[in-house]
Amino acid sequence: MSSSGNPSSSGGGGGPCGACKFLRRKCVAGCIFAPYFDSEQGAAHFAAVHKVFGASNVSKLLLHIPEHKRPDAVVSICFEAQARLRDPIYGCVSHIVSLQQQVVSLQTELSYLQAHLATLELPQPMAPVSSSGSLQALSITDLPTISPSLYDLSSFFEPVMSSTWAMQQQPRPSDHVFGVPSSSSIIGGGGELQALAREFIQGGQMPAQPSLGTGGSASTVIKRE
Amino acid sequence: MNPKRCAACKYLRRRCPKDCIFAPYFPPNDPAKFACIHRIYGAGNVSKMLQQLPDQTRAEAVESLCFEAKCRVDDPVYGCVGIIHLLQTQIQNAQNELAKTQAEVAVAQTKLSQTQNSDF
Repeated sequence: MSSSGNPSSSGGGGGPCGACKFLRRKCVAGCIFAPYFDSEQGAAHFAAVHKVFGASNVSKLLLHIPEHKRPDAVVSICFEAQARLRDPIYGCVSHIVSLQQQVVSLQTELSYLQAHLATLELPQPMAPVSSSGSLQALSITDLPTISPSLYDLSSFFEPVMSSTWAMQQQPRPSDHVFGVPSSSSIIGGGGELQALAREFIQGGQMPAQPSLGTGGSASTVIKRE
Repeated sequence: MNPKRCAACKYLRRRCPKDCIFAPYFPPNDPAKFACIHRIYGAGNVSKMLQQLPDQTRAEAVESLCFEAKCRVDDPVYGCVGIIHLLQTQIQNAQNELAKTQAEVAVAQTKLSQTQNSDF
């Protein structure tokens, strides 16, 4: 994607933007794609966007979005397009389902652990310990470095999905796909969305496709907080 | 006009042929589904995508396309990437909570064993 975000980079003396280069058309001044698709890597990214969404649909979409939000929109559109080309059946939905399963797994694990904690804290045969008593209550800050083995409570519970943690250990890909600008002025939100998009574009975590079942409503998959 | 046109052909105001690629997935009783997908992807792009897929995978593909289109309509800036981001945040929060609870369990176990030792 273009790194400048400068409207003057569109058309004119700067040559065609990546989108117009791909479409083999004249890049006019004020081209809506020019700030986001530079003439080098932008053409490849636009190719994916065009194949999945179509140039006119993306243009209409961008026109309805405030200008300061368009860089983020382009990043997410490129991400979805790339995901769809990589997985023509599920696109990025497979990843959503996988993440949701991770959330459920973690919450299950957390519930087990909280229940276990409750059983540990329940029996209190002795009188409550006051702060001035001889027995001082331990707090986390009093502990020395806890050895990793103490975190392995899997023997207390049913075998927990180890893939939950294994998936977090995957190496992070390098971030040179989009020609990311050095400043974060184009992409809002501190670059988190961009980092996320870079990971997936590099083929980070796209697991096996589960069945979606019926209904494609977003509300049936996720509850927004 | 054929009253049994699929939702796609009804929307596009065209005849629905017997081998219409949309007909199995866009029944006439749910016009909003095709309208949403057409708005984001366009009928031509969806048709091309479906043609490149084996028959048995097309239903799932349509559902995922509908889902993504719905996400994009609901959130034009982030689409379903916003959901991915939200889920990753939830995962991070859950992992932090898990680590905190594991530490609390460790503290409670230590406390319990110390109590038991002092009993003896």
